[in-house]
Amino acid sequence: MTAVAPETRAAVAAEHDVPIPYMQRTRDYYLVLGYDPYRWAHFVEVPFTSLRTPLSGARVALITTAAPLQPGAGDQGPGAPYNASAKFYQVYSAPTESVPDLRISHVAYDRLHTSAADINAYFPLARLREAAAAGRFGALAPRFHGAPTNRSHRATLQTDAPELLRRCREDAVDAVVLVPS
Amino acid sequence: MCHQTVSLVARRLEADGIATVIMGCAKDIVEHCGVPRFLFSDFPLGNSAGRPFDAESQAQTLELALRLLESAPGARTTMQSPLRWTADAEWKRDYLDLTKLSPEKIAERRQEFDQGKAVARAKREAT
Repeated sequence: MTAVAPETRAAVAAEHDVPIPYMQRTRDYYLVLGYDPYRWAHFVEVPFTSLRTPLSGARVALITTAAPLQPGAGDQGPGAPYNASAKFYQVYSAPTESVPDLRISHVAYDRLHTSAADINAYFPLARLREAAAAGRFGALAPRFHGAPTNRSHRATLQTDAPELLRRCREDAVDAVVLVPS
Repeated sequence: MCHQTVSLVARRLEADGIATVIMGCAKDIVEHCGVPRFLFSDFPLGNSAGRPFDAESQAQTLELALRLLESAPGARTTMQSPLRWTADAEWKRDYLDLTKLSPEKIAERRQEFDQGKAVARAKREAT
């Protein structure tokens, strides 16, 4: 619960009110289940590129980890249990002019506290369209792209990331908004 | 895995001259990997783009991400959205909470996990 510190009148946060330590919780959880700890990606250097054009003239792309609805692959609806059959293993692209039906039953979202009932909470295409129409940035790229989620860093680094880069280059994008599910 | 995947992809794009921003809910995973720009929403996983059925929250979340694109001074720039999921933080206790798992439940989860992996492997190999 929150309390107020009299000297500042600022609300004091509860001790546990911190970003959830997902790596630690996942490690502890899988140890209890009897599995070896997972080694998360971790690098010394981080690349950085300044936006090469003002945002008002920039072409912006969207990359998602959400999956296109796959008929016959089991329950993918709001609140569906984890569904490995709904996963995908190849980069996909679709027009940003379309209204895609993308789901997230194939990933470990927080099923206790949210239900994935509103696509706009994990796939901001509608909001991006509005921002582009309002002139907040130059233009939305003609396609958005889907990135397969993979336990293997190597699959992402050697196969999927280069393919996503190739498609972004093909569409001559200046900036990319990436949204995990 | 979603947060790690997009982190790896953002790094690749950035190394090739394309500016990126990640909108996400798993702060530790993204920062552990190391990315150029990150708009963190302290929301349950699955709401990286804002609160469900709340266009204003979604627009605000996107706007903060766009501002990061424009103004981050260098790599590993994280901004935390001021939006809160609930007034208190009780929801944060629940994700993979081991105190609620009986031995029977653990066996059940292990079986589910193995089944899920087998299904995923078969699908991956068929792709």
